[in-house]
Amino acid sequence: MGSIRHFFFPRNRRYSVLLFYGFLMGVVFIMLSSSVMHYTSTNTFCMSCHVHPHAEESWKLSTHYDNPSGIIVDCVECHLPPPGSITHFTAKAATGIRDVYGFLFKDPENIQWEAKRHITQAVKHTYESSCIDCHQNLFPLQLTEEGMHAHLYYENNREELNCLNCHLHVGHYSEHAQEILDFGFERIAGKPEIVFKEASLVDAFERFTETIPGTGVRFDMLPIPGGRFKIGSPEDEPGRHDDEGPRREVEVSSFFMSEIEVTWDMFMAFFRETVSEGRSMQGNLTYTDAAQNIVDAISGPTPPWGSPDQGWGWGKRPAITMTWHAANVFCEWLSLKTGKTYRLPTEAEWEYAARGGTESPYFFEGSPKKFTRQRWVNRIFGADTTNINRFVVYEGNSFFRTQEPDAVQPNSYGLKNMLGNVWEFCSDYYAEDAYASYPAQMVIKNPQGPLEGKERVIRGGSFKSDAFEVRSATRSHTRHDAWLLTDPQIPKSIWWYSDVFDVGFRVVMEWPIENEPNDGQ
Amino acid sequence: MASDRRQFIKGAATIAAAGALGAGALLKSCSRDRRKAVIPEFIDQAPEGKALKAGLIGCGDRGTGAAMNFLDAGNNLHITALGDVFRDKLESCRQQLKQHRNAEIPDEQCFVGFDAYQKVIESDVDVVLLVAPPFFRPSHFDAAVRARKHVFMEKPVAVDPVGARAIMASARMADAAGLKVVAGTQRRHQRDYLTTYAHIKSGIIGDIVGANCYWNQSRSWHVNRQAGWDDMTAMLRDWINWRWLAGDHIVEQHMHNIDVINWFSGKVPVRALGFGARHRRLTGDIYDFFSVDFVYDDNTHMHSMCRQIDGCANNVSEYIVGTKGASNCQNEIVNHRGETIWSYEYPRLEHGQPSQLAMKSPYEQEIIHLVEAIRSNKPLNEAETCAITTIVAIMGRISAYTGREVTYEEVMNSSLRLGPEKLAFGPVDMNLQVPVPGTAP
Repeated sequence: MGSIRHFFFPRNRRYSVLLFYGFLMGVVFIMLSSSVMHYTSTNTFCMSCHVHPHAEESWKLSTHYDNPSGIIVDCVECHLPPPGSITHFTAKAATGIRDVYGFLFKDPENIQWEAKRHITQAVKHTYESSCIDCHQNLFPLQLTEEGMHAHLYYENNREELNCLNCHLHVGHYSEHAQEILDFGFERIAGKPEIVFKEASLVDAFERFTETIPGTGVRFDMLPIPGGRFKIGSPEDEPGRHDDEGPRREVEVSSFFMSEIEVTWDMFMAFFRETVSEGRSMQGNLTYTDAAQNIVDAISGPTPPWGSPDQGWGWGKRPAITMTWHAANVFCEWLSLKTGKTYRLPTEAEWEYAARGGTESPYFFEGSPKKFTRQRWVNRIFGADTTNINRFVVYEGNSFFRTQEPDAVQPNSYGLKNMLGNVWEFCSDYYAEDAYASYPAQMVIKNPQGPLEGKERVIRGGSFKSDAFEVRSATRSHTRHDAWLLTDPQIPKSIWWYSDVFDVGFRVVMEWPIENEPNDGQ
Repeated sequence: MASDRRQFIKGAATIAAAGALGAGALLKSCSRDRRKAVIPEFIDQAPEGKALKAGLIGCGDRGTGAAMNFLDAGNNLHITALGDVFRDKLESCRQQLKQHRNAEIPDEQCFVGFDAYQKVIESDVDVVLLVAPPFFRPSHFDAAVRARKHVFMEKPVAVDPVGARAIMASARMADAAGLKVVAGTQRRHQRDYLTTYAHIKSGIIGDIVGANCYWNQSRSWHVNRQAGWDDMTAMLRDWINWRWLAGDHIVEQHMHNIDVINWFSGKVPVRALGFGARHRRLTGDIYDFFSVDFVYDDNTHMHSMCRQIDGCANNVSEYIVGTKGASNCQNEIVNHRGETIWSYEYPRLEHGQPSQLAMKSPYEQEIIHLVEAIRSNKPLNEAETCAITTIVAIMGRISAYTGREVTYEEVMNSSLRLGPEKLAFGPVDMNLQVPVPGTAP
């Protein structure tokens, strides 16, 4: 007679029975794991250890929680790929591991939550496939005309665009988002208390305060005595890129440079005086080319789309998101207003001024290796960043936004924020081998960069940059197409970039002033 | 981005063709080898089904014709509302419908004015026929789709890039809402063209390496300004000669032939270089002729020419050349020795002569296809395909106007919008200078 063992494992049908148990275990496993999957995907579970109560609050204020149809969209419905897809499981596992690590080892106080809400970060923890999984019809009959054109543009440029480009705050409410939508750009900044009647007179090569006639705006200009220096960085400089060499001996003439990056106060004075009509009034664009504006009377920017200050505030913060073209028209306007010659610095002038006579990576003591967070040693054991914090607004201290000039100390010329805060436009076209094209055995006087090109040089790094990137020699360049990616207007703005927010500029003034009468020609 | 567009155009073309032919399989294979041609079946009448009420917007001659085509397409089809900017146009159409089709439209269903289209759309109709001048198409189409109406609309679907993009967006809205749309490129519904297309798709002329298309004809109609007419009245009554209303004749008329080449090649030109001028026209601000070299992404060319001048050689046709032969796209396929290797057999008249007259008119056929798609719920939406051809024709026009090479991408990204800011009778304040090539800044 059969024992218990034979009851469960009858000898004659061993394989089919094994199969049966295997199947049973499989079912139990799936049921268990499915309920684990389910449980770990609930909002309660997410919030049980997610250390950001504000995320829950803003979610409950958002249209994904509070809407007329009463549908609530759960955390995982946006923050994981759609269920059923393989990436759902892999992303869930990866997110889980990251969260556990963060929970155990990270101090929530030090996490830059606000930064994570910015589009560049937000796309990393939300999934477009999930947006589309619910929002399958991009052309409902109730869609506005603007929405129709925007969704057509999206569908025709799917690889470059993400739903979040336009719908950033739908999952977590932001007051700032409302502000951007209702923004009356021209209305900001009240009337200035003092209105300057005349520009400053400059008769000596020393610090002076420029006053813009007809506005209440003033700013300091510093004399940068001409001289020679080695442009570029030595090959052993930490964080160096190939485009920083070969080093060349360069001479620049004396000039004045603005103490700080052009502020919103300065740029808005320009905007208010020269603002041109909205583009609907531009008429027939096939036959006119706005980029060819020759200014006898200056035609300035169109109103921007959204809020170019990113909601960080105006005043003395550096003006950002204007195009290289707009920065140049600003200089033309400033020249016309003051009777001097203002312009963007050349790349050589910029680096000469930034170095202030130094040949080290920064104009202050310290090695990029010591300050960078890209080295795991620094991340784990911490690094002494006291010195860089005194002089530079960069990734390590910026809270992911621009800061006012007072936040830092100047270099030896008195210039502030040459390194960090915002990248600064130079007048040169960018070429990787720009220095190599200069003759090696000569001193090159006032180089202007390549004769032709598409993109322009930007220098100095920004609040988003790592310590490696805010060296005096670091070079980068504009990215015209990428920076206008989500501009919903057609043709795209020549005045405002839609997709870069850490580039600005500072002005230089030519010296000596040529005293030719300005007859407006 | 470009590849996305093509992908998408392919999709749109498939949907349109599948709807029109009921033979989606035709396009699915892309093997180079010769396959059996799948000849679509043609129906002479729309299938039976629920009664459909249609409203006509734009009561000119073509509008009146389209209304009659609708009434002829099958049983239980009615025209129940009319709309036009002009009372006399509307009354004339109304009278024709009564006289020739015994269709009476009551006073309260007749709407006159710039907002007549809205009233027609709101008048409890299932289908609208959009036959006003092309300038109005994007706004009329948008209103019709939002009100869930099936649409027949005449080509072209826009006069400028902004309008063409609006049509594309509305087309997707129509798809999402399950609406059926036929867009007036009637060669796509013409039996001889469709049959020739099936043979060419089967590989009989090999890969396509070049194409020509023509619409050279005598001068078109015009209406002289009469005493007492304001600017707007004079322009609307003479609409075909005004750029903002008709888009110039390369867009308004010749796009038919360009569309055939787009359709047969399955491609859309990526750039164009053309010229044209105005010498003989009596009214308006458009050109008399265009000659445009369109180039595809594989560097094959389509030469397009169109002219409206009396006393010159005329020709309205297409010609497509493949590696193994060539075709006029309509009824004949030849090899490279000029020998006919296939020709379309037209039905014969009573006395035995073959004749195109015995074939179902494509204007009727396109409406039959529309009603068939509505009643049997088959996919059919030609709006986007027609908008793409409209863009291509506009690309040729802009190139001729400016003398410059123009790309599809540029036109797709152009903010060019024609027409006055406000639509109202009275003076029209617009720049009406005829473009001179080479003078654009």
